[in-house]
Amino acid sequence: MNKKVFIGSGLTLIVLSLIWLVITPVLYPGVQAGTASAAHPGFRVPGFTLETPQGELITLSDFTGQPVLVFFWTSWCSVCKATMPGLQSAYQDYAPDGFALLAVNATSQDALAAAESYFQSQGYTFTLLLDRDGSVARDYQMHAVPTSILIDRNGIVTDVVIGSGMSEGFLRARLDGILVTGEGE
Amino acid sequence: MFPVLDLGPIAIQASGLILLLSLMIGIWLSRKFAKNLLTNAEAIENGILTGLLAGIAGARIGFLLQNPSVFLNNPLSLVSLTPSMLNPGFGLLVGVIVIWIMAQKKHLPLWPTLDTISPLILMVFCGFHLANYANGNAYGLPTSLPWGVQLWNTLRHPVQMYAVVLGLAALAGWLLQTRGMKQTGFQKSGVLFAIVITALAFITVIIRAFAAEKLIFLGVDLVQMLAVILLIGSLYLAYHRLFNRRHPVQVFVSLGSNLNPEKNLTKALITLQEIFKIRRVSGLYRSADVREGQAGLQFLNRMVELETLIPYLDLQEKLKSLEREFGREPGNKNRVPLDLDIITYNGEVFVHQGKNIPDPNLTTSLYIAQLLAEIAPDFRHPGTGQTIPAIIEQIDDREQAIEKITEVENGTTG
Repeated sequence: MNKKVFIGSGLTLIVLSLIWLVITPVLYPGVQAGTASAAHPGFRVPGFTLETPQGELITLSDFTGQPVLVFFWTSWCSVCKATMPGLQSAYQDYAPDGFALLAVNATSQDALAAAESYFQSQGYTFTLLLDRDGSVARDYQMHAVPTSILIDRNGIVTDVVIGSGMSEGFLRARLDGILVTGEGE
Repeated sequence: MFPVLDLGPIAIQASGLILLLSLMIGIWLSRKFAKNLLTNAEAIENGILTGLLAGIAGARIGFLLQNPSVFLNNPLSLVSLTPSMLNPGFGLLVGVIVIWIMAQKKHLPLWPTLDTISPLILMVFCGFHLANYANGNAYGLPTSLPWGVQLWNTLRHPVQMYAVVLGLAALAGWLLQTRGMKQTGFQKSGVLFAIVITALAFITVIIRAFAAEKLIFLGVDLVQMLAVILLIGSLYLAYHRLFNRRHPVQVFVSLGSNLNPEKNLTKALITLQEIFKIRRVSGLYRSADVREGQAGLQFLNRMVELETLIPYLDLQEKLKSLEREFGREPGNKNRVPLDLDIITYNGEVFVHQGKNIPDPNLTTSLYIAQLLAEIAPDFRHPGTGQTIPAIIEQIDDREQAIEKITEVENGTTG
């Protein structure tokens, strides 16, 4: 490789990169999620109103000012059932600080009776909600259960976890962060 | 976006699968590349896999160090198989340190090893961005271009796919440069690695413009700025490896003859001493001609360590013309007045016109390995880091009986 050719192309690359670096913020300024809503970290959480099995209506925006975990689950999902006891344990400790746990059963993909009887048999004290027509699951682009969406006190999504990742330990660590600093990470 | 792949009864997280596949393909490519470059395929592969495991363990430990209450609450969280509670930064640090330690223990040469894993780096780059596309992470700015994708309720630049496509283009370029993984295409190790890093840094600079989430530092996107710095650094590295100041380099040359061997080898040594600075000379060794159909024609061999300023290609030319001066007939492989072979050149690892440096006969022939052992007992194979005793032990020497017939007066002055 010719030294002159190398130096020439190298310097060209560097100069082009520096120019692009400097004009990027002008041509393509970054866009914070701001008020846009989506089930993804950084965005405002999509709102919903769902029914408990007793017919009581719960609206997500009622919980603004509190950290919330929205947990999509079904009764046939073994990972969901393995995760929920840990969530119960964390819920007991953090509920006094205002933590709300909304376990949204994807009823359109589940048997209502099975879901209700499972929930009662375990004695969970957090809130059970029923997404009977699957509209909330669609809004949240829920692809598989369990899907956990953690929301900070400002209504901003901090974590979206598909699968077993929302373990008790992880939830506790994230809640400590939210409750101490007042913001999601 | 396709975070989950539905395969009937099982749903697999696409991002994990993508990363795993890119890693596996990258390791497979590196292994094939190592076989052609004659670097240590096994040690490199073991290092990567061990580093990966160490990195994952490190990521878990890092998370728990950051959140000690989690561990105190449930000590079993240390070994929990959930794919969360991982600190990526700490994991990367631990992984790199473990790989570094293992490479040192195996005496893996730095630049040839980095050249060898260049396809892995390319594959992981593509896999990382494709995994982000699957998750909808690192998403792009809104756009109305015809190839915009719907993500998070807006039509956006598929910026992760820009990276994947450009990364695959870089991989194609790499395949071209290496002529299908047969060589690095440079006579200096480390250059291919530096060029790959330059390409990936440049791709990052370009595509970051279209990322939605930017970290502004000193008025510019921080990731873009770091990519520019990396670009400059890797270009400088390539420049330095290719064109650094000339200083004398160490070369081992093997001399052989089976036609008037004693006379020719003595004359050859004197001629070499007039042209080059000779540092060490081995004794004369007799071996049977190992080539088929030549039983009986005895070769005499000696090994010489010299220092020179001239580049590899010029040295090869010079030695060939010396062979011709001594009467070597180009087609005649049976009666050889003088054979001069470059065994190593400045500790470099490369392939030129199908010929490997270091010479592959180093690890298969006693008439090279044994003679090296005499004049350079501390020698390590530039590609694999193996010591001479280890190399000799591996040689199947049933037909390679060699014996020393003369000492040299002042041969091993060093």
